[in-house]
Amino acid sequence: MDELIYTLKQQIIEALNLEDMKPEDIDENASLFGEGLGLDSIDALELIVMMEKNYGIKLKDPTQGKEIFKSVAVMADFIAKNRTK
Amino acid sequence: MMKHSVIITPEHVLVDGNPLEHNESGSTMLTDLYRKYIGDYPKFFKMDTLSKLGFIASELLLNIEGNRDFEPREDRAVILFNRNASLQADTHYQSTIQNPDNFFPSPAAFVYTLPNIVTGEIAIRNKYFGETSFIVIENYDEKIIEKNLRLAFQDPITTSIIGGWVDCEDEEHFEAKIFLMEK
Repeated sequence: MDELIYTLKQQIIEALNLEDMKPEDIDENASLFGEGLGLDSIDALELIVMMEKNYGIKLKDPTQGKEIFKSVAVMADFIAKNRTK
Repeated sequence: MMKHSVIITPEHVLVDGNPLEHNESGSTMLTDLYRKYIGDYPKFFKMDTLSKLGFIASELLLNIEGNRDFEPREDRAVILFNRNASLQADTHYQSTIQNPDNFFPSPAAFVYTLPNIVTGEIAIRNKYFGETSFIVIENYDEKIIEKNLRLAFQDPITTSIIGGWVDCEDEEHFEAKIFLMEK
């Protein structure tokens, strides 16, 4: 799981152009939206695309994103259980 | 009356006619200018080159004016012109949907497929609620630009305008000539 969390942090940094940020700077338990990383709605869409592209996960219900994108740790757990690639 | 001006090309930056020190060239130069003279707006890194160019030019322009209090105002318009619209962002977005077997439309690329996004970025940053327009014309034409800016001053609200040319063909070919005008 630690390896997946680290890879996920790298992929988030790349997909969202979080320049100046390293995987170590992201707290896997911190909120991705609002106070935490301060991501916005376009970032949420980009994360949905990233999950489909890299892990073959297609969100059937976009409102699921609210729960899944709570933190990197929650996201990694969801990916580990649902990935098809 | 023109108060201040900024010119940016891939090699040179002139602020009120004076060269501004910078490193690098092309779009890397824009990032260098951001780090050196701005640095408090991480959204910069998500922008396409056209928006980065307009954003940096407007920041340098407004830094000369000073008093960056970011108080909401309606009396300042942002009216820009160019030739290439948002062609670079359009091409980039197209590349994310070109291959049916690798079809992953990027929302972050898609949001920049309109040239007027750059005027929006400037207005959002500075809390301007006045007119914003982005007009695409065939070539740089001072007469057309002046005429449109003069018209903008006809309304009873606008007292100043960030106006001019912000054009981007690609990361190595771009030009901004913008100025701050007052009624």
